[in-house]
Amino acid sequence: MTRLTRVLGTGFAVLVGLFLIAPVVVTVASSLTTTSYVTFPPKGITLRWYAEVFGKPEFLSSFVLSAGVALAAAAISAVVGLAGGLAIHRYRFPGRGALEAVLSSAFAVPTIVLGIGLLQWFAQMGLASSPFTLLLAHLVLTVPYAVRLVLAGLAGLDRSAEKAAAGLGAPPFLVFWHVTLPAVRGALIGGAFFAFITSFDDLTVALFVVTTDLQTLPVRIFNYMQYDYDPTVTAIGTLMVLFAVVAVVVIERFVGVARLFGADTDHK
Amino acid sequence: MRTRTTRQEAERSVSTSTTGTPAGPAARRGRLRLDGVRKVLGGKEVVSAVDLETEPGEFLTLLGPSGCGKTTTLNMVAGHLGADGGVIEVDGTDVTGTPPHRRSMGMVFQSYALFPHMTIADNVAFGLRMRKVPAAERRRQVEEVLEMVGLDGMAGRHPRQLSGGQQQRAALARALVIQPDLLLLDEPFSNLDAQLRVRLREEVVALQRRIGTTTILVTHDQEEALAVSDRIAVMADGVIHQLDRPREIYLRPATDFVAQFIGEVNALDGTATGGGACEVAGARVGATAVGDPPAQGAGVRVYVRPEVVRIQADGDGLRGTVRETRFLGSRIRCVVATGAGEVTAALPFDAQVPAMGEEVTCAWRPSDASMAVR
Ligand SMILES: Nc1ncnc2c1ncn2[C@@H]1O[C@H](COP(=O)(O)OP(=O)(O)OP(=O)(O)O)[C@@H](O)[C@H]1O
Ligand SMILES: [Mg+2]
Repeated sequence: MTRLTRVLGTGFAVLVGLFLIAPVVVTVASSLTTTSYVTFPPKGITLRWYAEVFGKPEFLSSFVLSAGVALAAAAISAVVGLAGGLAIHRYRFPGRGALEAVLSSAFAVPTIVLGIGLLQWFAQMGLASSPFTLLLAHLVLTVPYAVRLVLAGLAGLDRSAEKAAAGLGAPPFLVFWHVTLPAVRGALIGGAFFAFITSFDDLTVALFVVTTDLQTLPVRIFNYMQYDYDPTVTAIGTLMVLFAVVAVVVIERFVGVARLFGADTDHK
Repeated sequence: MRTRTTRQEAERSVSTSTTGTPAGPAARRGRLRLDGVRKVLGGKEVVSAVDLETEPGEFLTLLGPSGCGKTTTLNMVAGHLGADGGVIEVDGTDVTGTPPHRRSMGMVFQSYALFPHMTIADNVAFGLRMRKVPAAERRRQVEEVLEMVGLDGMAGRHPRQLSGGQQQRAALARALVIQPDLLLLDEPFSNLDAQLRVRLREEVVALQRRIGTTTILVTHDQEEALAVSDRIAVMADGVIHQLDRPREIYLRPATDFVAQFIGEVNALDGTATGGGACEVAGARVGATAVGDPPAQGAGVRVYVRPEVVRIQADGDGLRGTVRETRFLGSRIRCVVATGAGEVTAALPFDAQVPAMGEEVTCAWRPSDASMAVR
């Protein structure tokens, strides 16, 4: 019985893995083709399309824009998520219930609706399209998630632990630093990670908010593909995958990816 | 505050042992005084005008049913809650407005409240780190206190790798290592199974006797309170009903509440005849007045524990008919119907057991019973 479930479980994991990895494999492989159209399996092997990518400065500037906005979204989501989570968890203030309701229903709003709404809103506020408006738009997507993660982290924190720390001589800031913050650390890292990916990946909202001379990488790729569907696109895709891998490795180095998902941190 | 820290550090370096001796620094400190302390929570007065004073080195228990305001009181002593009235003093210093981190109090919580991301050693060292004790000295003291609570060898573990009892020992070590003025224990044993609860509580009492830190225990378990305390404050609805030694509390309850809350009691209505005596159902019985003796002719209630009631064939006392006798192992339970209602006696197992329907007298020593104005 347990053996059967284990075999089934392993099989399921392998299938899911294949399903997730297959598109990546196709993208990476077809970026090497010598043909001027995307095909799999690739015909021949060349790095020509990578040269193409680096020959197009608009892709580089789009990458810089996307990465910058994504980093900012990650940092701000973490900070606002922490502040918002603490405020909702700790204090009774007017509109608290409403705020919580808005935050938890934010997921339910389709991004396309959000895009249209924000377009309208920014226009009426007279906000010209800029990296700043794009960042604002992404924060609407990512902050609620970060707040909810922080709230979940705080729910797992025993308030007595904070009292204990204070009683042992820790002034409020050190209580926060040594007891509260560690309890929401995973939540903050997870929230920042989610914000980064969401922002870096976003096409729908960005399509509404950006102008022709301010295009994020997904928008750039999307626009490019409408006219030229050549392997440049798959080469960029491959580079994005590489970028993600590097990002994961870096984060792994610093905090340990396992911790993001609440896994046990003890190896001893 | 500065001066206090320096004083403590000076003492620490003078005493060779952190744990101190009965005559050590801890024994001279820790006189807590509450004067009219009140707290309103959610529009309700949950602690009303509590007065309390401990001797240095005393083990004092706040005993009362759930929701009577014990934790609230303890939180005010520790500074986690501000008092809405009254004064809290430690060794003559008013600490009513002092934030918790400037009071020197070690608190142990029902939930242990260890820091989950730190090892046991780091948990215990936390208070020393906050006091800027150098690392080497810190390690030495942590080791010493862990050994004292029987946790040597567990220093490198994380709290969740410890059993409940071990976690509670670690919490105790963490509170003791700072040599607090007061040790505050909020139902520290209630999450443990019955056997461990008794064992750990014996250990805590022995430890407390040894290091002499004034200790306030909060519990709703009357047996625990009787077993460990120098004195017990019985609380109900935010008011201290009686504050006395366990024996007094048990034998001479001051109010109905105290009498009923702690074990079984015979409550007999009578009339005071002056001079510390009273009349119940026509018979003269003795009982000690708690507080001022009631005026002659006042309606009083006499509280008598079953264990102190003697059943005699004749003599002075309350006459009645034996209704029931039952062998209970360590005791024999005997119910006598008297003019003042049923009186229950818990006789020693080797006592002469009266026959059913026999006419007997219920008697007790006046010092073993109390009376209070109705
Ligand atoms: N934050 C609060 N707001 C309103 N009422 C509160 C609050 N905290 C406690 N109370 C009320 O105050 C009363 C005393 O609470 P407290 O925690 O001091 O009781 P306790 O004696 O420690 O009880 P227990 O044995 O259950 O721990 C209770 O009736 C409780 O409902
Ligand atoms: Mg309580």
